[in-house]
Amino acid sequence: MADVVLKNVSKRMGSSQVIDGFSLDVANGEFVTLLGPSGCGKTTLLRMIAGLETVDKGDVLVGGKRYNNLPVQQRNLAMVFQSYALFPHMTVAQNIRFGLSIHKAPAETIRRKLAWSLDMFGLSGLEDRLPRQISGGQRQRVALARALVLDPDVLLLDEPLSNLDAALRDTAMEELKRIHHQVGTTIIYVTHNQVEAMTMSQRIAVLSAGRLEQYDTPRAVYDSPATRFAASFIGSPAMNFLNGAVEVHGEDAGVMTPVGFVKLDKERFTSAKAMAGRSVTVGIRPQNIAYAEHHESKRYSDTTLSVSVELVETLGDRSLVVSRGENGTALRFLITRDIDIEPQEMVEVFLDGRRVHLFDPQTNANVFSF
Amino acid sequence: MSTIARVKSLPVEGLKKALWVASIAAAVLLVAGPVYMLFKYSISDSTSINTGGAPIPLWPYHPTFRCFTYLFSDSQFFGVITNSFVIAACTVGMSMLLGVPAAYVLGRFRVPGRRLLLLGLISVRLFPDIASVIPITEFFIRFKLQNTYTGVILAHTLLALPYVIFIGMSAFEAIPDDLEQQARVMGANGFSVFFRILLPLSIPGLVAAAIYTFLLSWDEFIFAYFILGLGKISTLTLFLKQKLAFSPPQNLLAAISVLLSLPVIVFSLMLQKYMTAGITTGSVK
Repeated sequence: MADVVLKNVSKRMGSSQVIDGFSLDVANGEFVTLLGPSGCGKTTLLRMIAGLETVDKGDVLVGGKRYNNLPVQQRNLAMVFQSYALFPHMTVAQNIRFGLSIHKAPAETIRRKLAWSLDMFGLSGLEDRLPRQISGGQRQRVALARALVLDPDVLLLDEPLSNLDAALRDTAMEELKRIHHQVGTTIIYVTHNQVEAMTMSQRIAVLSAGRLEQYDTPRAVYDSPATRFAASFIGSPAMNFLNGAVEVHGEDAGVMTPVGFVKLDKERFTSAKAMAGRSVTVGIRPQNIAYAEHHESKRYSDTTLSVSVELVETLGDRSLVVSRGENGTALRFLITRDIDIEPQEMVEVFLDGRRVHLFDPQTNANVFSF
Repeated sequence: MSTIARVKSLPVEGLKKALWVASIAAAVLLVAGPVYMLFKYSISDSTSINTGGAPIPLWPYHPTFRCFTYLFSDSQFFGVITNSFVIAACTVGMSMLLGVPAAYVLGRFRVPGRRLLLLGLISVRLFPDIASVIPITEFFIRFKLQNTYTGVILAHTLLALPYVIFIGMSAFEAIPDDLEQQARVMGANGFSVFFRILLPLSIPGLVAAAIYTFLLSWDEFIFAYFILGLGKISTLTLFLKQKLAFSPPQNLLAAISVLLSLPVIVFSLMLQKYMTAGITTGSVK
């Protein structure tokens, strides 16, 4: 086991700057997720740690040792590829034993570790099957078993669940969490799926265009997104964004937006007042907007807005309402299933003043969070 | 609606099927016909060939393996078969030894000028054998390779190498990069990656190339004729040519041809198994 430190690493591929001065520290035994849309450089970063891509600038340190120019095969890391990359001509057992035999482990160790991994990953009875003779979920578990028998310093996982169906993915997530708990290996996990990131990781690194947007616990990333990108990428349905300017009307500080005056948390009136006149982007999650008739405890800093319903999407237990303000600005919010709202209807909604974020339109940084 | 469509389409389907069967039957007849005739002649007695004007029977009057027993009792013939076998086997060894590493490099690395190299490789086969045989023979004479096993083996290697490299290259190319990278991450060096991952996975393609090379050498006449002449070392094809010069009985010629074709048929059947696609199924995704 070891910690991983990335110091200002950069990587160019052709004419594009794939990774741009990226720094990250992963503690020993930590489960960290690199989260971002496709093309943001997260897989490239993982491959740089593994040694499959060169590092143009900066340092990759594993367990305090500089890894930049260390050949792939000399790094004590394990990686699970998105494709699983099981050796098709080897049985499950041969696949799991491969790394151990490469490292010339004694026969007794190999036997013991094989037995351990078959048991750990529920693969007993499949030892002699070829990869093409087992299911997708089983292949994923073989790939993990094969990686973990090597007792790697760091386990690198490149979207290992993206080839599984939804139900299988849920169990696989629980299993990965359990395994991390039992084995305690440092895990760096790459995904574009926010649910996987939120569920499993201790910290999430949100990436966009080769840059680190935010690095924090899942809860902090959700509650206080550092940038507009982090705010829009995490949370489902996506956050509402409204452009406007900060104004102060007597006791109330708020933002004048196309849908109306959005009040800000009274407890932070002073800092809001200091921003008066500044243009900002208001961010509020659909979860923090309530249908008026259902809003029981209206607080002093809540905003009431009148919007016209455009369409209602059923999500199961809840429905997503897409509505528009007077000049056509969209506002999305959630209602419980027992509420009937028809398109074209005019409804009143409450915005939870404590859950309003303000982003700087130029830097996209969060300038007013709770 | 679907029921109606199915009922309506039935006669069309039937006609289609009949056409399929007929064309397959025609193709089989076209290919198998000469093979059957060859076999029939090889087991014919002389009265079934020289019928004195009567039509030649579909099956010999008195089938006999006399020609085969005659050939095998001939010590020269036995030597010739051995020669052909040894030359073909050595050609396979030589072609693989030179071709597989080349195929590996061309298939898995970015080689500058790769296209030009491949064109150069295939260039010797762009000309008819009869055109390229003369300069090559002249070249071989200069190195005193005429009338030697080495000479004919090298000539056959020259002919087979482009195929070995091309077939081998596509076999190596088809292996997903993930597998190689995975092995490296697990600690394998280049040597282990090649012998434990890449080579086993390209075996089907390489076996196909080897069989193809064996048959190429076994059947080859022009280069063998120019390099060996009708000298001390003779091959099966040269032996056939030699016999032809004395207008021998058709059944004897047919028997030689059957023996010449036998490995072709056997290997082609084996080759089919290796041509089966999907060997890498289940590795990635």
